[in-house]
Amino acid sequence: MEYILNQLINGICQGSIYALMAIGYSVIVGVVGMVTFTYGEIMMIGAFSSYYIFTGLSNNLPLAILGAFAGSFIIGSIVYKLCYERFFNAPRHISLLCTIGISMLIKNLAQIVFGPDTKPVLNVIDNTTFTLNLFGANLNIRLLQIVVIVLVIVFAVALTLFFNKTKWGVMLRAVSQNKDASYLMGISVKRTALLGNCIGCGFGGIAGILLALYYGSVSATMGASYSTKAFAASVLGGLVDIRFSALGGLCIGIIENMGIIFTSATFRDVFAFAFLILILIIRPQGFVSKKGARV
Amino acid sequence: MKKRILALTLTFALAASVLAGCGGDDKKEETKAPETQAAGGDETQAAGGDETKAETEAAAPEGGESKGVIKLGGLAPLTGQYAEYGKGFDIGFHKAIDEINAAGGVNGYTFEIDIKDTQSEPVTTSTMATAFAEDDEIMALLGDFSSGACKATAQICDSYGILQLSPTASASDYAAMSKYFFGIMGRQDVEAPFLAKYVLKEYLKAQKIAVIRVDSDWGKSCYDNFIAQAEKEQLDVTVETYATGEKDFSSLITKMQAENPDVLVVMDQGDPVADIFNQADAAGWKIQHVALGPGTSEQVVGRLNDKDNLIVTSPFFFDPDDAELTAWAEWFQGEAGFAPTIHPACAYDCVYLLAEAVKSIDGEVTRENLRDALANLPEYTGVTGSIKFEEDGDIKRNYMICGIEGGEWKVLEGFEFGAAGF
Repeated sequence: MEYILNQLINGICQGSIYALMAIGYSVIVGVVGMVTFTYGEIMMIGAFSSYYIFTGLSNNLPLAILGAFAGSFIIGSIVYKLCYERFFNAPRHISLLCTIGISMLIKNLAQIVFGPDTKPVLNVIDNTTFTLNLFGANLNIRLLQIVVIVLVIVFAVALTLFFNKTKWGVMLRAVSQNKDASYLMGISVKRTALLGNCIGCGFGGIAGILLALYYGSVSATMGASYSTKAFAASVLGGLVDIRFSALGGLCIGIIENMGIIFTSATFRDVFAFAFLILILIIRPQGFVSKKGARV
Repeated sequence: MKKRILALTLTFALAASVLAGCGGDDKKEETKAPETQAAGGDETQAAGGDETKAETEAAAPEGGESKGVIKLGGLAPLTGQYAEYGKGFDIGFHKAIDEINAAGGVNGYTFEIDIKDTQSEPVTTSTMATAFAEDDEIMALLGDFSSGACKATAQICDSYGILQLSPTASASDYAAMSKYFFGIMGRQDVEAPFLAKYVLKEYLKAQKIAVIRVDSDWGKSCYDNFIAQAEKEQLDVTVETYATGEKDFSSLITKMQAENPDVLVVMDQGDPVADIFNQADAAGWKIQHVALGPGTSEQVVGRLNDKDNLIVTSPFFFDPDDAELTAWAEWFQGEAGFAPTIHPACAYDCVYLLAEAVKSIDGEVTRENLRDALANLPEYTGVTGSIKFEEDGDIKRNYMICGIEGGEWKVLEGFEFGAAGF
């Protein structure tokens, strides 16, 4: 029982990071209207931005989060200019191929600029473990896990408020729902899509710093496997709905970690993707309702 | 027009980055210039200039007459998760070649190497190995990093009759796969049993062991050799595996923690070793850490949260009292930006082994007589110690027990500790 509860905590924490990744991914897909393959590298840029802030300016977490968001936001704007802006009316595979190319470009440049070695991100958050007694079982939860979960909740709520309570948020939702109608209403679709892409990338950057904190390291090749998870979580949530994408991320994290109880960690991805396939067989639209709820 | 310029810029940037990532062979030209001049090849004319002429004179072949250049095909993970080892290979190979060429080459031959990035992926390695093997000028293959990638070229080496000398393949069945396979890292069927008997049973006096290992060719071979000896020593072993590239070990650690073992053993190389121990520390798990695979890696030390809790097996140690080794390590650090492990030192030794083999050949060097010369080489002492190939093309090394004290590697027990064998 104790062991299962502790695995559940691991799953919730990992799932929270996946949730944040999926939120950013869904914002991009929802607002821009196209799938991206650069997301893993965007997260890596966020992680490296925070790494250099940690090493250069001491372990200042708020500043590192800001740096990660800004770093990924800027790269997001470049990605948008190169991969999307000029190809809005072109066949979708053009943008798709561009994002694959840019992803390779960023990854290889990162290996040259940042170096091929993995860099440590240690002791940013105190290594404290709290033990809670729950129904007679000792539940161990680390301060780092609490910080990660709290940060994910804070950013998810902040993004929801931004979308619902600000003028830019309404414009982003409008573009996400219908670009032509938004254009007719006087909204600059390209500028709004640029902002949406950058915000989505910024959230990817924050997910990158959380990955760096949680796993204690950053490397130029770290993005690849996580971008697949972000995509899978986003698909579970119907690709464009941030609430259900977050739920998808959380489910994948929990399923992966609970699966390890019964077998080895080698098969964790098998559990994650088997769950994805199962849900898509039952509900091809994912968790989202058939009517669809966009960003 | 603007679109065209943008498209062209993008294409160039993409191509440049991919080439830089895949090639990663910055020093090739630097190395090649004096070599080809020494060999009196046509490229000397193309290079031209007084400076290169002076180098030509400095690098005149040993023994007078120039016989040409021996080209080597390098296979290394210059990018990807093993990139730091690939970088070490690159630096180690080039340093040895530069030194040999600067000393005038061997038997009238100078050396040149072309290193291809394989990411130590078996499929890529075999593709690159085929490309090298089809080039008649390539006399031998140096690399790759992982045993799995090295094994993937067995049929290629047999078909084309080209030797492959790996600095780091340690799977016990690697060298026996082909008469053209050689390795100098030492074998897991010695190191893994050494871990079970001497490190865990005799040194740490542990009984209940938790093993977390990478689910790869190398990891399986390590564990199979380990468990065979652990059973003889009546150790109580629990094992868990993870896929290559895994970053999250928290659930594995929770699972192992529930078993309440005496020692946590990690069987992998590089980053995952530090990741697992750091995540175990972060989970508040106080347990002795032991690793099989990284040796006395400075990168691992640099990444560990609790540095003074790790014990490893190692066939080699950068002894600070050895001036020559220390100078080599300092030079490497200056070049690479990080301290060396045994891996680049083995890469360096591999080139010298081939040079020794060339030295023993009378007449023209061919792929076949180079292979025979290497197989019959008498004992050679390199940076990493004594090397003498056994019949199957591998070597057996002796092992020490090393640990970290005050953030620095120390020898806890020397070669004499396990001298009695198994």
